[in-house]
Amino acid sequence: MSNDNAPIVKLEEVTKVYRQGETEVRALRGLSFEVQAGEFLALTGPSGSGKTTALNMIGALDTPSSGKVWVEGRDLSGLSRKQLSEMRRDRIGFVFQAYNLIPVLTAYENAEMVMRLQGKAEEERRRLAMELLAEVGLEGLEHRRPDQLSGGQQQRVAIARAIASRPAVALADEPTANLDSATAEMLLDTMEKLNRETGVTFIFSTHDPRVMNRARRILHLVDGKLDRDERKD
Amino acid sequence: MANRSKLATLAWRNIWRNRRRTAITLFGIAFGVLFAVLVTGLGDASYGQMIDYAAKMGGGHVSVQHEDYRETPSLDQTVRADDALTASIETDPEVLHALPRVSGATMLATAANSYGAFFMAIDPSREDESTTAFLGAISEGRMLEGPDDKGIVLGATLAENLDVELDKKVVLTMTDKSGEIVSGLTRVRGIVKTGAPSLDGGLALLSIGHARELLGYAPDESTQIAIFVRDHRDSAQVAARIRGQLQAPSVALSWEESSPELAGFIAMKMGSNWIMQVFIMVLMAAGIFNTLFVSVMERLREFGIMAALGFSRLQLFALVMWESVWIAIFGLVAAAAFTGPLYYYLNTKGIDYSAMVGEGAEVAGVALLEPVLYVDIYFVHVLAIAGIVVVATLAAGLYPAWRAGRVPPADAIRLV
Repeated sequence: MSNDNAPIVKLEEVTKVYRQGETEVRALRGLSFEVQAGEFLALTGPSGSGKTTALNMIGALDTPSSGKVWVEGRDLSGLSRKQLSEMRRDRIGFVFQAYNLIPVLTAYENAEMVMRLQGKAEEERRRLAMELLAEVGLEGLEHRRPDQLSGGQQQRVAIARAIASRPAVALADEPTANLDSATAEMLLDTMEKLNRETGVTFIFSTHDPRVMNRARRILHLVDGKLDRDERKD
Repeated sequence: MANRSKLATLAWRNIWRNRRRTAITLFGIAFGVLFAVLVTGLGDASYGQMIDYAAKMGGGHVSVQHEDYRETPSLDQTVRADDALTASIETDPEVLHALPRVSGATMLATAANSYGAFFMAIDPSREDESTTAFLGAISEGRMLEGPDDKGIVLGATLAENLDVELDKKVVLTMTDKSGEIVSGLTRVRGIVKTGAPSLDGGLALLSIGHARELLGYAPDESTQIAIFVRDHRDSAQVAARIRGQLQAPSVALSWEESSPELAGFIAMKMGSNWIMQVFIMVLMAAGIFNTLFVSVMERLREFGIMAALGFSRLQLFALVMWESVWIAIFGLVAAAAFTGPLYYYLNTKGIDYSAMVGEGAEVAGVALLEPVLYVDIYFVHVLAIAGIVVVATLAAGLYPAWRAGRVPPADAIRLV
């Protein structure tokens, strides 16, 4: 990061063109926006508007056809595959719609997995993972495997996993889509609290009104472009 | 997971996600190993048995003989075989016995008939079951007693052809060392019945003292010193060591050199066995490849998620390779459990094939005196089979592992 006011995420004229057989799909058409550290932000828009594609760009999961993406001031297009992998491991947390926990690992093992990749000491991993699982309300369920947990509980483990590595940005792709209202609200409470207490920037891709109600800033995407930047003060 | 132990743990759990598929793969490995062990063990035991029989019927595992004896095996091609030399040879740690022998062709005649035969003259007081194949095959009468016994022991068919019985006279005629025709009178002490046509129809056993006297040999002269070693696979090395103790024209030949047709037959059979086993191992590897590849393709999304979370390509590659390692290790354990009981049975009881071959059989000129096939694999072959299984399993895992490391995270995550 160059200075404190620099955006933690910046997209500049990003386009993404997919090929589906003979057809060209333009998922992003010159998308530009900036996100400051500590924001609790939602990308929203109709299906096909480019929300998930934008999230993939920020998360270094995909590369733009043109334009640039910066995370913490680093131009992702200038990073090697290894550096991108390290960026995802150390600076970005992911929460997926379908939870995507490793099915053969327990809740505790899933939560500490990224810290293990980071090479953190066992004691530190244990302390942080247990604290975070308690934080998301899973105390006592640490040794259960995903198939022994409800959908809401699995998503809590996914949040703990995303935050455990102390990332700069947590990206959540439709995190409440598969959850009932009460569970979704509980999860949003948890994420808001983590955002407040740890300063982690949350960027959601969603069209769930419950998420948009909590977001302090909403970027409305239409046809791969920014249609409206709505800030709640 | 950064450290190897956690990757290994994750891989171990992964292989048990689809128990039935893993069980089928392990069964495939176990069956492949069972086949390889039994075929190799059968070969090791039967070829070893043939080599030992050939040694007992002639010049031992290593033979000291005149340098020209192999080309022209006549009775004038002799070597020094005194007690000092045989005792010196027996000091080699791999040597069990070093026994002087005289062997060659003779004509046997009775009042009724005359037949050509192969004679072997031995010192009966120094021979036992481990050096002579015929001691246990006496069907009538007795074996010769001592080095100067003037009797003869005949093959059963030869005795029948000569129309001779125990204690009856037989005239021996042979060419002595100086090329003269010599004859001697002897009496039948015993009849051997091996079941092998060439032995029963053409073998005559004499005492070595008697043969030396007939042939005009010196007391320490022989056509061969038959040397028996602990393990026939060491014959060439033993022969090389013994050469250092000999003076021209004596040479030491391993059984491969003195019986090239037998060595060629065994090499050919072992070669064809290995080709068949390689084929089985390739089939086994294809099964393992299928398991791992299907398992990787089913988990593309998961690998994409792991890549998104920060797993490197190398770590994903290593994860699938660990799955291969576990399959190899557990496959070998399953193979040991699967193979062990059958191997034990065939090693101790064997397969009696006397009903298939009748009374006797010969392979590559070697009589098979005991019609039982045992399985007795050399340890080095066990290691080779285990090594091939591990290499085949790891090789089968390479492409799936490479594939796992190259899953584009964004594409995989889209696969809902």
